Amino acid sequence: MTHFAPILAALRRHRLATALIALEIALACAVLCNACFLIVGQLRMLHVESGVDESSLALISLGCDGCKGTDLNARVTTALRAVPGVQSVAVVNAVPFADHAGYAGVTLDHEHYIAVPHFYSGGPGAVEALGLQRVAGHAFQPEDFQVAENWLPKNTSVWVTRAFAERLWPGQDPLGKEFWSDTYHFRVIGVMAHLAPPDPGGGHGDSAGEWSVFAPVTPGDSLHGVYVLRASPAELPRVLREARDAAQKAAPEAVLNLPQSRTVPELRADYFRQTRIMVGMLAGVIVALLLVTALGIVGLASFWVQQRRKQIGIRRAIGATRSDILRYFQAENFLIVTAGIVVGVVLTFGLNLVLMKFYEVPRLPVYYLPVGALALWGLGQLAVLAPAMRAASVPPVVATRSV
Amino acid sequence: MRYNLMLAWHGLRRFPRSTVLAVLTVAMGLAATMTTLALLHQLTADPLPGRSSHLYLAWVDTVHAKPQQNQSLNEITVENYHRIKLGDARELLHDHRAAWQAAMASVFTELTGDGEQPRHARDYVLATTGEFMPLLGVSLRSGRGWTPAEDAAHTPLVVIDSEMAQHLYGTTDVLGRDLKLGHGVFRIIGVSVPFRPQPHFYELAAFGFGDRRRDEAFVPLSALLDAGVDLAGSDGCDEDAPKQKTLFGTDAIHCASLSYWVDLPDRRQAADFLAYLQHYAENQTSLAGYGKPAHAELTGVGTWLSKQNVVPDNVRLNAWLAGSFLLLCMANVAGLLAARFLRRGAEIGVRRALGAPRRAIFQQHVFEASMICLIGGALALPLTLFGLWTLRLQDSGFTDLARLDPAMFAALFLLALVVGVVTGWLPAWRASRVEPGLQVKSA
Repeated sequence: MTHFAPILAALRRHRLATALIALEIALACAVLCNACFLIVGQLRMLHVESGVDESSLALISLGCDGCKGTDLNARVTTALRAVPGVQSVAVVNAVPFADHAGYAGVTLDHEHYIAVPHFYSGGPGAVEALGLQRVAGHAFQPEDFQVAENWLPKNTSVWVTRAFAERLWPGQDPLGKEFWSDTYHFRVIGVMAHLAPPDPGGGHGDSAGEWSVFAPVTPGDSLHGVYVLRASPAELPRVLREARDAAQKAAPEAVLNLPQSRTVPELRADYFRQTRIMVGMLAGVIVALLLVTALGIVGLASFWVQQRRKQIGIRRAIGATRSDILRYFQAENFLIVTAGIVVGVVLTFGLNLVLMKFYEVPRLPVYYLPVGALALWGLGQLAVLAPAMRAASVPPVVATRSV
Repeated sequence: MRYNLMLAWHGLRRFPRSTVLAVLTVAMGLAATMTTLALLHQLTADPLPGRSSHLYLAWVDTVHAKPQQNQSLNEITVENYHRIKLGDARELLHDHRAAWQAAMASVFTELTGDGEQPRHARDYVLATTGEFMPLLGVSLRSGRGWTPAEDAAHTPLVVIDSEMAQHLYGTTDVLGRDLKLGHGVFRIIGVSVPFRPQPHFYELAAFGFGDRRRDEAFVPLSALLDAGVDLAGSDGCDEDAPKQKTLFGTDAIHCASLSYWVDLPDRRQAADFLAYLQHYAENQTSLAGYGKPAHAELTGVGTWLSKQNVVPDNVRLNAWLAGSFLLLCMANVAGLLAARFLRRGAEIGVRRALGAPRRAIFQQHVFEASMICLIGGALALPLTLFGLWTLRLQDSGFTDLARLDPAMFAALFLLALVVGVVTGWLPAWRASRVEPGLQVKSA
């Protein structure tokens, strides 16, 4: 085992350089842990479960001022169903990753608004077309679909997501429960495993992004213009192209909203583009950071080896083996990195606190620290290997020469 | 001084390997920082250079309702864009206390051309009042704007931008042709140059950056309301308002749905205008009983943008990380320099023994550090440009703004120099403390 005493004595002669390297390790620890933590958070966002059969869905969105909703729906759905390869078509108000339709606060006692879910609505067949998974309760009956005057019917039977049910009635069976939004009254008749709002993570309270309500509505004046169509994933791009043309032909007075009339996978990719940039940037920062840290260690260790050639020669001349010399430099590096990590712990949590204060970043879990520390120890040992090998190869005869 | 510079230059060439290492480290740190800073700088840039310093958003809260109880409902803030009601806008316009002023609201609606086979588009139209042109600096390619008299008479006129004209009519020569908005027919009296302030500061209800979001036409507000086009969204409505036709339609009379921008050339006028506005708010007798103090505000463009959090969090977050990264690079280079300077203890000892003052030694080494950082800065330039280019490839609304303007270019070199001096300070100081006697002895 190496004795640390002589190493410490030697480092005391290089207080400044040692302190700077330790500081660098501390900073690296802080940035590394926080950047990794952010990446993990963003990746979790990227893999959010939408709750619909994304790969086989596409959206057609029409804007039409002063159109008769019922008439538009009839013409467009007929035209879309005629497109070869379309398995089903339904009128909805939104799908995950498209433009959101409407968030509204809900209350259980007409007094305190306690959550703001996204309200999806859809006509007959929408549940099947979207592929929503019901885990409890029962399906919508024809009589559940009612005409809405402007937003939703005044009393509606709805499905809610499991996450939202848990928010409203923790630990209770949500089936049959009621809630209100303004003067609109809702009764839960089914629970879905997942249904992400159109803009998951869009700052709407719940970071897990699963507070959604699905309401059945008879398509018409309050529900028209957005159509979801289902086709086999392989045919989807072609079906979408033809569906766009068909919709334009069926309703020449309407304007096709091109950015929204896409396949759901495309909408998803678009929605998360910024997140992906962010992940790329963070990954870039991490790689650059490790590289710079390693280079710094290599540079400094090389310098020290050159400077101590004579001392190394003397040690070799009085009987130290090559591996003794090698281990000396490795131990030295280990000491410096450890000192850096000790300071780094404080800096890591400091940076995390800053990020928590200004951005919606959660608290850093403690287990990131040992992982970060291990990574830095490993990096330090790898970086010091080459200079240490060079030190070990110093011949004992150097001791007899003058500098 | 010159001798010290020369020595510093020599010092650089003595250990080429570690010099290259230090230069590369500095270049990487600077490039990472500059990339994020350049983006941040673009995003926080002045949307209307030379003009926005004297533009203000005027706000009086005259909505007949209790002050917002639950401003934040599980972290969702109720919208507050400091909009005012139509009646107040008309009063303020009539009083005309600012150099220029206009009420405005951006409306997403359908535009239809004329002719046998009219072309449609759905896009943003700015419903506003006559003085918007001098106020915002919208410039015309042909035709004219409209007069206060035409505003008052609800005349259906429209100024359309050249790109929209091209899209709807296939030509920019469209003066006198008709444009359908809502159920009204508006005569085109002017063609404007596309107006694209970045960010879109006067209407933040949609995302404020990028080319995808701009107002394609300008219409007299009163005429557009006559044509049955609803304003989108509001900051709250009167409780005693008559029943709304639709849930989402906005009734401009009873809802705060107009942004009121004014141009006040100097501070004194701004103070006068605020006093007048406060006075106006105090005279709103109809507000009694809603438990609100009379409230008026005047917000400058810069304040307004920071208040509305226009810059995406991601960008600031990245700037933080890049800054930490630069700090790390600096620690790294300082460590390298310290080792390198102290290796030359013997030479320093000789110089000191021959009578060089500590200051000279210190200067020599700071110069050396600064040179390394300046060379690093020169190298960081292509790296930064590369970084910004990769950002622009991403096309996500705001990243296409990632460019390096001359100011940022200068900032890069200034930063490099500062980094050099700061980095070199400690090791140089340490080097100048070398005891001459000891070193000369052992050499």
